[in-house]
Amino acid sequence: MEQDEKKLEPIFSVSEYIEFLNINLRKIGTAKITGEVTKLTISSNGHVYFFIKDKSGKGVLDCIIWKNNYALCGVRLEEGKEVILSGYPDVYPLSGRFSFKVNTIELKGEGALKKAYEELKNKLENEGIFDRARKKKIPMFPERIGVITSKQGAVIHDFLNNIGKYGFKIQMIDSRVEGQEAIKDLLSAIRTFKKKNIDVLVVIRGGGSLESLQPFNNEALIREIVDFPVPIIAGIGHDKDAPLFTLAADASESTPTAVANLLNESWAQALLFLERYERDIIGRYEMILSGYKEIENKLKISFNNFKNALTANRANLHGSLDKSLSGFKSLLAMVGQKIEQAEKVVFFNNPERQLRLGYSIASCDGKIVRETKDAKIGKNIYIKVTDGKIISEVKNINKD
Amino acid sequence: MAKKKSDAKNLNSNLKRLSEIAEWFDNQEEIDVEEGLNKVNEAVGLIKASKERLKAVENEFEEIKKEMDS
Repeated sequence: MEQDEKKLEPIFSVSEYIEFLNINLRKIGTAKITGEVTKLTISSNGHVYFFIKDKSGKGVLDCIIWKNNYALCGVRLEEGKEVILSGYPDVYPLSGRFSFKVNTIELKGEGALKKAYEELKNKLENEGIFDRARKKKIPMFPERIGVITSKQGAVIHDFLNNIGKYGFKIQMIDSRVEGQEAIKDLLSAIRTFKKKNIDVLVVIRGGGSLESLQPFNNEALIREIVDFPVPIIAGIGHDKDAPLFTLAADASESTPTAVANLLNESWAQALLFLERYERDIIGRYEMILSGYKEIENKLKISFNNFKNALTANRANLHGSLDKSLSGFKSLLAMVGQKIEQAEKVVFFNNPERQLRLGYSIASCDGKIVRETKDAKIGKNIYIKVTDGKIISEVKNINKD
Repeated sequence: MAKKKSDAKNLNSNLKRLSEIAEWFDNQEEIDVEEGLNKVNEAVGLIKASKERLKAVENEFEEIKKEMDS
């Protein structure tokens, strides 16, 4: 940069001056301008050039929005459409053209918003993005929770105050959740969580009007969550028109507290399940055991009865044996007496005893001689005495 | 070293196993007391470990930064 030697004023080259202007224009910061779109041109590389003018026609501004920002804002420009632009002033060095560089575009007016909402809703509905079948199931016992919300305000506190103490590992990304500027924040936060190891992603904010909830009706944002690797729970308060984000999410609750309760649910239920299993399994086994106890008691009674019966039988047996033995003894005594008597009879009637008394026994031809006819003259008579035999011949027989 | 199963996986598999044991009891017309006792012992262990996990455990909270798109 040169200097005027007399006044010490800087003398810029054209490009230097444009750069100087742009630096100072940036200091103004972003501004919001509302007006009607005219002379709309979309270039072959996707950047969009247009003018915005007051309805009165008193003011016209040259505008440009780059392709990426245009895609992101979710608003389709049409000539005559009333919009709110957010951006900053800029001079293009190669042409010296002053323009308003647009970051994001919003539709103006409840009617336009509603119309855009319905159009996008129908489009996404026809593509099946809201279909229940494509929604992911909230896992049982989620542990690692990703949270996207603004750290300003009560929402995050409500969520943290209501989430149960189940050892959750919560990671939060602070994001704007209101106004078109929130879209970039939300997209960036969702893409960051896509690379993190989480079980479920929670996106929460407080309630608001259709206008303030516009970021959650953004097509690019909705398409970003369709193929998200883990389930997304939306906790976005709303009145009647549910933000399209909540329709596309895998689960939706109306408040941050309700989202916290949903995450608590399976943990709280686990306790009930455990108590039920405890009752079912252990209770059932105790019942079986009590059945066996009953059988055991019956067996004990039966064994006792059997034991008693055995004792009684033993006693009877002893009695019978005693009886039998005494009968046997008297029988023996009786037999002994008989034998004694018999002995006596035998003793008294023993022929040898008679012989010793002087009697003798005579036999002839092997027959005892009892009468005279038993002997024959000339025959031998054998006379048995105590110590031997005498043989004599019959000489004479005299019958009395 | 084998990776430790997460609490959620443990709790899930414990509940699944308990459900199988409960079903086993339901399906037995005549319980094998010995086998039943083994199953009861297993169930008691699972219930105890699961209840232990469900006791209040403090949450961890961390704010992380957005990563710039590459």
